[in-house]
Amino acid sequence: MNVATKSKNFFKSIPDRIKKLPKKFAAKFAGAKEIITQGNGRVSASMIVMGLGQLLYRQWAKGFMFLFIQAAFIVYAVLTGASDLFGFFTLGTSESDAWYGVKGDNSVVMLIMGILAILIIILYVVMYIANIKDVYRTQCAIDTLKTPIGFKKEVGALLDKSFHKTALALPVIGVCVFSILPIVFMILIAFTNYGGDVVPPALVDWVGLANFGKILSLGQFAPTFFKIFGWNMLWAVLATAINYFAGLGLALLLNKKCVKGKAIWRAFPILAYAIPGFITLLGFKFMFSYGGPINYYIQQAGGEAVGFLGLDAKWTARLIGLGVNAWISIPSTMLLATGILSNINTDLYEAARVDGASAWKQFVKITLPYVLFATTPVLISQFIGNFNNFGIFYFLRGGLYADGYFLASDTDLLINWLYNMSIDNNYYSIGAAISLVIFVITSAISLAVYVLSPSYKQEETFR
Amino acid sequence: MSTAKAKVAKAKTKKVLNVLITYCILIVVAFVFFFPCLWLILASFSKSGSIYSFDGFFPTEYGLNAFDALFNDTVMYNYPRWFFNTLFIAVMSCILGTVLTILTAYCMSRFRFKSRKAMMKTTLVLGMFPSFMGTIAVYIMMTQFNLINQHWGLILIYSAQAPMGYMVQKGFFDTVPYSIDEAARIDGASNMTVFFKIILPMSKPILVYTALTAFTWPWSDFILPKMLLIDKDLYTVAVGLMSLGETEFARFAAGSIFIAIPIIVLYFCLVKYMINGMAAGAVKE
Amino acid sequence: MANLSLKHIYKVYPNGAKAVNDFNMTIDDKEFIVFVGPSGCGKSTTLRMIAGLEEITAGELKIGDVVVNGMEPKDRDIAMVFQNYALYPHMTIFENLAFGLRMRKIPDIKRDKDGEPKLDKNGETIPVMRKYTKQELEEKVTEAARILEITEYLKRKPKEMSGGQRQRVALGRAIVRRPKVMLLDEPLSNLDAKLRTQMRSEIVKLHKKLQTTFIYVTHDQVEAMTMGTRIVVMKDGFVRQIDTPKNLYKYPADKFVAGFIGTPQMNFFEGMLKKDGDKVHIDFAYSDAKVTVPYSLLMKTTPQYLDGTKSVYIGFRAEDISLDPEIVDKSDAAIDVKISHTEELGTETLVYGDINMGGDGFAETSTRVIIKAGGFREYAPDTVMKAALDINAIHLFDKDTEKSILPRVPEYNFFDCSVRGGKLAFAGNTAELPAAIEASDGSGELYVPVSAVTFDGSIKGKVVDCEEIDGKFLVSIDVNGGRLYALSDSRVENGSVKIGLDYKQITLKIGDRECAPMPNVNSLTGTFVCEKRPETIEANGKTKTRKVAHYYLDIGGVKLEVPPSVYEKMFAATTGRKVYNSTFGYEWSPYDFAVADSGIEARVVGDLDYGAERFAVCEACGQTLYVKTDKPLLGTVMLLPDADKVSVIETERQIRIV
Repeated sequence: MNVATKSKNFFKSIPDRIKKLPKKFAAKFAGAKEIITQGNGRVSASMIVMGLGQLLYRQWAKGFMFLFIQAAFIVYAVLTGASDLFGFFTLGTSESDAWYGVKGDNSVVMLIMGILAILIIILYVVMYIANIKDVYRTQCAIDTLKTPIGFKKEVGALLDKSFHKTALALPVIGVCVFSILPIVFMILIAFTNYGGDVVPPALVDWVGLANFGKILSLGQFAPTFFKIFGWNMLWAVLATAINYFAGLGLALLLNKKCVKGKAIWRAFPILAYAIPGFITLLGFKFMFSYGGPINYYIQQAGGEAVGFLGLDAKWTARLIGLGVNAWISIPSTMLLATGILSNINTDLYEAARVDGASAWKQFVKITLPYVLFATTPVLISQFIGNFNNFGIFYFLRGGLYADGYFLASDTDLLINWLYNMSIDNNYYSIGAAISLVIFVITSAISLAVYVLSPSYKQEETFR
Repeated sequence: MSTAKAKVAKAKTKKVLNVLITYCILIVVAFVFFFPCLWLILASFSKSGSIYSFDGFFPTEYGLNAFDALFNDTVMYNYPRWFFNTLFIAVMSCILGTVLTILTAYCMSRFRFKSRKAMMKTTLVLGMFPSFMGTIAVYIMMTQFNLINQHWGLILIYSAQAPMGYMVQKGFFDTVPYSIDEAARIDGASNMTVFFKIILPMSKPILVYTALTAFTWPWSDFILPKMLLIDKDLYTVAVGLMSLGETEFARFAAGSIFIAIPIIVLYFCLVKYMINGMAAGAVKE
Repeated sequence: MANLSLKHIYKVYPNGAKAVNDFNMTIDDKEFIVFVGPSGCGKSTTLRMIAGLEEITAGELKIGDVVVNGMEPKDRDIAMVFQNYALYPHMTIFENLAFGLRMRKIPDIKRDKDGEPKLDKNGETIPVMRKYTKQELEEKVTEAARILEITEYLKRKPKEMSGGQRQRVALGRAIVRRPKVMLLDEPLSNLDAKLRTQMRSEIVKLHKKLQTTFIYVTHDQVEAMTMGTRIVVMKDGFVRQIDTPKNLYKYPADKFVAGFIGTPQMNFFEGMLKKDGDKVHIDFAYSDAKVTVPYSLLMKTTPQYLDGTKSVYIGFRAEDISLDPEIVDKSDAAIDVKISHTEELGTETLVYGDINMGGDGFAETSTRVIIKAGGFREYAPDTVMKAALDINAIHLFDKDTEKSILPRVPEYNFFDCSVRGGKLAFAGNTAELPAAIEASDGSGELYVPVSAVTFDGSIKGKVVDCEEIDGKFLVSIDVNGGRLYALSDSRVENGSVKIGLDYKQITLKIGDRECAPMPNVNSLTGTFVCEKRPETIEANGKTKTRKVAHYYLDIGGVKLEVPPSVYEKMFAATTGRKVYNSTFGYEWSPYDFAVADSGIEARVVGDLDYGAERFAVCEACGQTLYVKTDKPLLGTVMLLPDADKVSVIETERQIRIV
């Protein structure tokens, strides 16, 4: 299943899920109830001290492992966990004061450590529940004369039946710490006043929804937001359409029977694909700069040097952006389309030829529907990629602030604005609030596109 | 008869015209994609180095000064150092990232466990967040873990974030018939043996695809290294080249060529795998 | 090299869907069993349960003498061939064949460098597990390759081979280990028609050569018919019929089997049967066709369907209808058929027609008819011809249940009878009715199940025929001109015989009153409990007091201790502590109760005296129980069921677990 289908299904299932929620909870609760009412003394023992029940069942390795987890958690809680968690809510109480030599609290670090503490607590709760379930399972096994699963067997299963647990442990931890935690942090930052003057050592505080209010109402943010948003949408639609159709066209062209030496022709776009993006972008920046070759020829022809990417070059810069983006992105679409075209059933074309369909008709009636069907998910991810295309204008025109914009220029996309504000100018909380808005927009768009797309409407046709 | 002949003749001219137009377009396309590259190559052989001394797209004088400076004038811009920094980071993240991604994709495709759906949904939603907003948090965390200004910090981040993009690989594994696993199980293999002895060896296209994407990302990324690397000696090529000014254009071009060549070579060798890998991930549900 | 036994096998998915229902079968060594049925009928699921790829929800699966429920596939000593071959694409054919051997260890004894056995202190060999040596591997692989004639391909990879060759490799991979049971899951479905036929005979040949039990799954009835020694026809998770190909074709147990087996499909008509003296009129619906046939040909028909009120399906195979004028002229059972079109098959012609003169002969209706005719005549469309039906080959099915009403072993014997003064008169005999059957005087109908005829009574008859069916003998007995069928465990020679009736099984209808047979199952509901009691055990001359667990069925508060054979199965079929939290249905036959000092308190409400046997009718726990007894019971009694003989039904999923 692809990304977009998943998202579609997810959103579609929301009402259903809400309806099922009480039942689901009841089912979960039933399991807990069963353990509480039917569990024997050893299960209770494990509820009080992790691993105790297992020890009473003489499952030494398991018991000590759980016991060790509990001990480690207590040590963690005493040493830093409790204060970290507390810090998450207060975000620091003592401001640093160099004059008096007070070292003060770093609110941001406290926030992150707080999130980490919550993650660890969740992990502990999971382990705690696993511990109770494990001892109850042992009880069940013994009560029904089955052999309880010992430590050795359980470890052996980690390489066989539960191989996924072994294999997923590292990826899950990695993603939790380096992807989920930062995103949670970002979401939370949107509800604080972090940024501007309020950066450590100053104390940050929770402010609720104030940042979202600011984006929509406050003078400096709102006009910029809507201007950039308009351009951002236009950019995403244009860039996606150009790349998609040009890439598809190129693939079709190279797919023609009359073209000899396909590999050589294909090599040129692949060359463009293979060059790291930042090199291409910086190269083009040089090409269009005041002293660059384009202006050289203009001046040679008696004209005046044009600031293609200058501060007041609104549309030329935008067009150059589109062109450069096409140069970078078309090859990848072409490769994808080549792969998909090779999967089309050629009988369809032969049937069409016998029916007397022209080449154009064949394209419109066979190729396009099939390719659209197969690539809709890619189209959506390309759209989102273009919507959040940070690199293009960062490299071509980074760091420009135009009139009528707050910390942005007329080519900047929301994501560039975000970068300018949060990374270059410390408006962290506003930036976080904007990125939440972007998230809502992108997911809504991808959902809408998907629902309107052929893959959704005729899911069965090409099966 | 004559009308039929005329029809045949007309069809023939149409065909010739068709071929002619096709090749014209191809030539234009080839030019558009190749010219900027050619320009960079030529620029790297410029003697003067600054873009202002160019004769349009072409340097006035040719020489190997830029390459000489690139590798020998290492006081301000230590390109060889940057190159090996980049190589180290990219290779390590490629190995770790590929292993983690493939493992994740395999598990998601082959095992049905309780939290599987929840995990797939979480990654899907997370994928829609503008990723670099999280970099602030990553930065702060790295300072806390004392991994700022260290290559291992970058490698850690790259490899840890790689499994988020497991979908294409999962799409590939979904196309591998389940009966192969079952046959191996009946033959007496454990799930781990199935993975290492059966599934992995037959997944070369997707392995190559994964490794390539896992390699090119750190190879050409600049946001993270710019944020996490402070010492100029620790820079990666992307960050280093960005610090060059317009006057150093030839050097930039030369440096670009060196960084681009490994990737280009890899791509050309593996283009077949790329196409297969991409198609496998896209068409399959 | 092993027989299999499947007892009450169920597959129930967590969402409650039942893929396989109560599968019972014993497969003998060296049999070639084919599971056949439309997709979703549970055939593959059953095979995969045997392989160990799917868990068995309830029931007992034995390979050889070992219960293999819950055993890993690799430990079951089976091999499986998959539809898509499932070869390892990155390995050569040799490696594909050798993989299973490489994964395994074989028992051996410890040896020193020279290959001499090492001995332990007592001078005995030391057993060890070792891998196959290179030489052994090569020998085994070459042998398998030789059998399947793929020796020359051993160095190739699967993708360099054709579909047929790949399937040979897949077979080779299965036989290289010489497994006890070969499982084949639609192995020929991916091949084209010609190759399929060829591989079919090769697999049969392989079966002969290996002398191993084969279980083969297919949706193709031709494959099933040509390959299997016995065939299991399944539909919707139920076994419809298990029999040899010949018997399936000749005696289908229901309309589904009849339609599924054989090409062209059996012709099904709707119609009604009416018995009139020694004739039976058959009226075809939606058509004017009618035939009258002698009752002697339809004697096995379940009698209720012969009164001209119940609509039934009438089936004839295409070869059992003839257009040959010679046969038609002689036949009493000829009907008009309007020819629609023909299909030439070379040696024979399929003639399509309709017994309804308005029908078109194309659509599959209940009047369309396909006839196999010799290939030597022209059949002009739209002409009306006479077609002769071979009544000996008629098939009749109930319209709702689709069960055969003309089965190989008939269900009932039917007689007109009369009762006068407690004496039953039928077929020229009179017999004393037992006290249990209260019938007022009058005349009516008597239904005697085949199993209710015993060979030790006073009724005189003459055995006219005896045919063996599934190890039992169906005896046809002439009783004063009336026909009576009986089942016997041994062959009964033709000649006179004395028979009796088991009155508790008969149904007697006099006027509006009906005497139903006595139910032979007593159902009770209850729970399952465990109690631990301290017990003193003597071991090594010491006495120890230990808590010992005892397991009981709890029926309305009465605890009945059960033996391991019962509770172990209950544990196996349930997960967690569910067995202690569920309600179960417990079933016993009337013979499994004893009247005792303690037990289930039951109120006696009736007494059934069948002469030879006596039963008490009791009420307990809201249920009516029939209990075998020697003397009449009165008042309230304590009934103690035999715990060994209980059948347990899990109420929640409605599956039989013991």
